[in-house]
Amino acid sequence: MSDWMGSGHLLHLRWDLDKTYLRTDFDSLKDLIKTYRQKAEDKVAIVGARSLMQALLDPHERRKRRVTFISGSPTQMRAVLTRKLRLDGIEPDLFILKPNLSNIISGRVRSIRGQVGYKLGALMRSYVGATDLDELLFGDDAEQDAFIYSLYADILAGRVDAVQLASILGACKLYRAEVDEVMSLHGRLFNTGDAVRRIFIHLEARSPLDRFAPYGARVVPVYNYLQAALVLHQGEVLRARDIVSVLEAMSVAGYTPARLANSVQDLVRRGVVAVADLERLAGELAAVETTRGRTVSTFIQRLRSTVADLHHVRRKSPEWLTEINYLGLYHSARFRRTRHRFLGIPLLD
Amino acid sequence: MSTIVIDTCAGEDQGREALAAAAIASLDLDVQMVVVGDEDEITSALDGLAHDAERLRVVHAADPLPENVDPRDIRQAAPRSSIAVGLELTARDPDAIFVSAGQPAAIVSLALQTLGRLPGVDRAALAAVYPTLRHRGPNDDPFALLLDVGATIECTSEHLLRFAAMGAAYASKISSVERPRVGLLANGNNPANAPLRVREAHHSLRGRDLPFEYIGLMRGDQVTHGEADVIVTDGFSGDVLVRTLEGVAATADALIRRAEARFKWRLGVQMLGGGIAKLREFTDWENYGGAPLLGLDRPVIVTQANSGSRAFVNAIRLGAKMQRLGVISAVAEAVMTSTAALGEEEPS
Repeated sequence: MSDWMGSGHLLHLRWDLDKTYLRTDFDSLKDLIKTYRQKAEDKVAIVGARSLMQALLDPHERRKRRVTFISGSPTQMRAVLTRKLRLDGIEPDLFILKPNLSNIISGRVRSIRGQVGYKLGALMRSYVGATDLDELLFGDDAEQDAFIYSLYADILAGRVDAVQLASILGACKLYRAEVDEVMSLHGRLFNTGDAVRRIFIHLEARSPLDRFAPYGARVVPVYNYLQAALVLHQGEVLRARDIVSVLEAMSVAGYTPARLANSVQDLVRRGVVAVADLERLAGELAAVETTRGRTVSTFIQRLRSTVADLHHVRRKSPEWLTEINYLGLYHSARFRRTRHRFLGIPLLD
Repeated sequence: MSTIVIDTCAGEDQGREALAAAAIASLDLDVQMVVVGDEDEITSALDGLAHDAERLRVVHAADPLPENVDPRDIRQAAPRSSIAVGLELTARDPDAIFVSAGQPAAIVSLALQTLGRLPGVDRAALAAVYPTLRHRGPNDDPFALLLDVGATIECTSEHLLRFAAMGAAYASKISSVERPRVGLLANGNNPANAPLRVREAHHSLRGRDLPFEYIGLMRGDQVTHGEADVIVTDGFSGDVLVRTLEGVAATADALIRRAEARFKWRLGVQMLGGGIAKLREFTDWENYGGAPLLGLDRPVIVTQANSGSRAFVNAIRLGAKMQRLGVISAVAEAVMTSTAALGEEEPS
């Protein structure tokens, strides 16, 4: 299976907003109110996210790229969020927000917190009619993004049939109307193409990596956006100079050379990026270096020493899985949440 | 920011607890973790641990420590052991701290071969903390310091004098005691009965103007009273003493457990439950982190062989605190000051 996109395809970037693109705290009601009242100018993007997005939406490539934001934030925040993205130089093609007010009015309490019905439905609706499309999805570990994105990808790839989907939606306790909509979209989208190339999960909560292993190689947990950029460079979606932009943004934000090098080492140890690809990148960066400052030369130096340190590592790349036990994954996540709520056991244990 | 180099080839569960502590520290503390051990095993274990990969670097070093080898020859016999590599990394980074639960003799020997010694110091001392009845300093610290507990088995009076200066400087920084009270461990309070090295050290310290207060010779039973903030002894006696104290605490704990098992006593034990829990907390060595090896130009912390993640996390905290408070330079300065003071003519 060729795991990266073919040339000439339209590349659709799907981004979650809170904790994926924006640094957001909504762990308490106070945080939630603060987030709601925040002005666009006060909202802060996660380090490197803006640079990565700008590199992906390079004007030369823009006509071949689409970007959709699907956020759990309420529709009432559209103006401020759109303004924030505009301030960052990002014009999304589609911006989907959660209709929380109508959920409250119609008494759909579970839909206010739940993400599966809303996000899966939004992803599927916005795919209807698409052809020759490759997708890159960006989410985080605070919600159920890996689960929802993988399920969506497997529906498109024809690996989750209607019976399986119905039982998954039943377990997720979706409302009838939500189930009906998702099932009807499934009828139109099932087996229309294996479009999702990678699902990047920003490890905002620093969840253990083995939580994502059951989803296979398609899901790539990343600690920061340099890691995502390196994977995208390996897949030839980004060029070396795009890596430089992300690198510089992170360096300005206070990332030390040691932290950046550790991020690279982590990817190699996990088998996500090969040592040979890093060697290639070091060579390409050296060509860019002439126009850039010390950040790049220090990074190249660290990159080369990381490569030398890991010469013994012969790690197999994570495998692509054709069968994912969605019901099992849903129940184990639910068990963890229940254990946390009633026994106080940390979610990360 | 401190760099904590941690050896993951020793400790409870074959070093897994050390790795768990490194993972916790990468999330909770503002430190850079360097994890030394078998890279393959570390990477697969890290998959199941919440950690911050940005603050954690893995260095492969998996030579097993040879058995029955003179500690001085370990470096040659196992140049890529986790202790040897960890100490080399520590030597290269001025902000680094080394933490290991490996064999103390191997750590001491390799540390002396790899790291620099402070000026005026020719022997290192392993300093253990233990709880006492008297609390000290503005933080109400219940711990006193005992050194040496095994790094230098054969000591001269000169070594004891350096240990006194180093221990006092350490206690002054860590427990914020302005002028620590230092005692020499002996077999009685009468100097005439003490061994020659202790007698000589006693005479040198008595009546001198030093950055610490010398309170004289102390018997073993006075150690836990807390009259002294620092007790100085040779590595042999210190090791015996600290293990005796641990043994007594463990025996007391075993006796309580035995009492809990007896039906007639159970109620009484339950009524004392809160107090017993506090006592256990007080005497639980995992709370103290580990023993710093003093006299070197980098902090080295030796934890017990059966250390769990809590002990390692506390050792990491201690190391970071030592770095933050500039303990090493304070110890170096104290050694210089004391050497100068002790070099003056003996007071009449």
